[in-house]
Amino acid sequence: MSETSRRKLLAGAGAGVAVGTVGLTMGPARAGDAKPGASSARESVVAYVEDHRSGQLRLLVGEREVVVHDRDLVTRILNAAGGK
Amino acid sequence: MSSHREAPETAKDPVADSTDVYAFVSPDRPDTVTLIANYIPFQAPDGGPNFYEFGEDVIYDIHVSNQGKGEADITYRFQFHTKVRNPKTFLYNTGPIGSLGSPSWNRPQFYSVTRIRDGKAKVLAEKLACPPVNIGPRSTPNYAHLAAAAVHKIGRHRVFAGQRADAFHVDLGSIFDLGALRPFESLHLIPSANAVGVNSLQGFNVHSIALQVPITEVSRSGKLPTNAASPGAVIGVWASASRRKSRLFDRKTGTYVGHGPWEQVSRLGNPLFNEVIVPMAEKDAWNAHRPKDDKNYAKFVNHPELAKLLPLLYPGVFPHLAAYHKARADLNAILLTGIPSGVVPGFQNYTGPVEADMLRLNLAVPPASSPNDLGLVAGDPAGYPNGRRVDDDVVTIELRAVAGATIPLVDPSYTVDAAAGAVQDGTSNTNTATSDTFPFLGNPGGGYQTEPGSAAV
Repeated sequence: MSETSRRKLLAGAGAGVAVGTVGLTMGPARAGDAKPGASSARESVVAYVEDHRSGQLRLLVGEREVVVHDRDLVTRILNAAGGK
Repeated sequence: MSSHREAPETAKDPVADSTDVYAFVSPDRPDTVTLIANYIPFQAPDGGPNFYEFGEDVIYDIHVSNQGKGEADITYRFQFHTKVRNPKTFLYNTGPIGSLGSPSWNRPQFYSVTRIRDGKAKVLAEKLACPPVNIGPRSTPNYAHLAAAAVHKIGRHRVFAGQRADAFHVDLGSIFDLGALRPFESLHLIPSANAVGVNSLQGFNVHSIALQVPITEVSRSGKLPTNAASPGAVIGVWASASRRKSRLFDRKTGTYVGHGPWEQVSRLGNPLFNEVIVPMAEKDAWNAHRPKDDKNYAKFVNHPELAKLLPLLYPGVFPHLAAYHKARADLNAILLTGIPSGVVPGFQNYTGPVEADMLRLNLAVPPASSPNDLGLVAGDPAGYPNGRRVDDDVVTIELRAVAGATIPLVDPSYTVDAAAGAVQDGTSNTNTATSDTFPFLGNPGGGYQTEPGSAAV
């Protein structure tokens, strides 16, 4: 997903969710593909997988909450959390 | 009480624990309304060296609803910043604090006031000084002077944020000992000799946020309401505290770092609502919800546990209450919708059918020339449950209401038990006297002057 389309999703997903929360659906990314984007966070971020069976990841950054739907990313986080 | 340590989570988080909310037409400036929210309960004045202060990691809000939907149409937001002038001393102060700018005061707090309306935030003021806590005659030798200097004018607003004497009074020791009321203990299921009430909050301070705003700023029409019968004359008021969604412990600094949006962790409208109406298992969730969703808690108002307990704890004293099984429309009106016209002659503070726990204040009712602490039920429409003044005896008012004294307002067929009109915990405000002028709550008790309480077993 390009940075442009990602920002559109961010802007469009704000309605109907809690204040300060935005939703984001991302396609799977391969390890090593990721590059910092223009809107990348440049501060500490807390990632929270509330339900390991879902593909949902909550990112707490600044005063915002970004909800990411990315099964692959969540799986890789869960694998990392397992120490492997 | 009235919301001191009222829920399991807030009991562990006193800095975000809202204890009392007041809203009343200001007797010192009747074209304004005074809104007060208290936090940090049970402050022993000698609790140094790290004395009490507002949380930098907490947002404190006072909300006003004026459209009858139980939603915040105007929010006044307070955020605090703490300054450490000398990081090389362990002392709160290194000498007498003679003024708010004293270099001897090592840990002053400052705050901003922001008004949020129609989704737009406007900073009304920044870097406003709080007073220090009242330490004692050597450290804060002229406390009244310090407190007065911390009353700030912002245009037509006045604001104060800092330590005050708690004006709430209640006999916690007896009430939470199986519902004992000392003046009536001989009638209790486990009887003992009748006694006078003991004010459990005597000698304790709180931290207050007090704001005086023009009525025209908070009324629905933007004008000064003059017709008490008009639905637009009534506002709803409640306070809340919010924390960041995540707190991580930073081992390097030994402090917590917040991430994510602010989440409400405490709220308060009517005194005692979460305390004695909402079951323990639901109190924390109640604190996180908005008033507009309070229909989910209406069943606890309509059939309150306390009304069932009174006849059990005081056998034979409340026979009519024991036999009353209808939904408590009187309590629903007082606590969740406001009192419609036609219930109390010449009075209403109805905000519509949305069930929401808020103080409801009819702005067209002027301040009383001779206030009665029992408020509306004693014929004083300027007092609780029309808003709440700092001297209103809300424990007695609500005890009597729960005991059935207000049922005939909505159900004339009901005969009130004789005890319902007399029940009380027998306390009065034995802290510093309240004031007739802003910020109305009395100066806090001093640390040096404090004497330890009883350790009787």
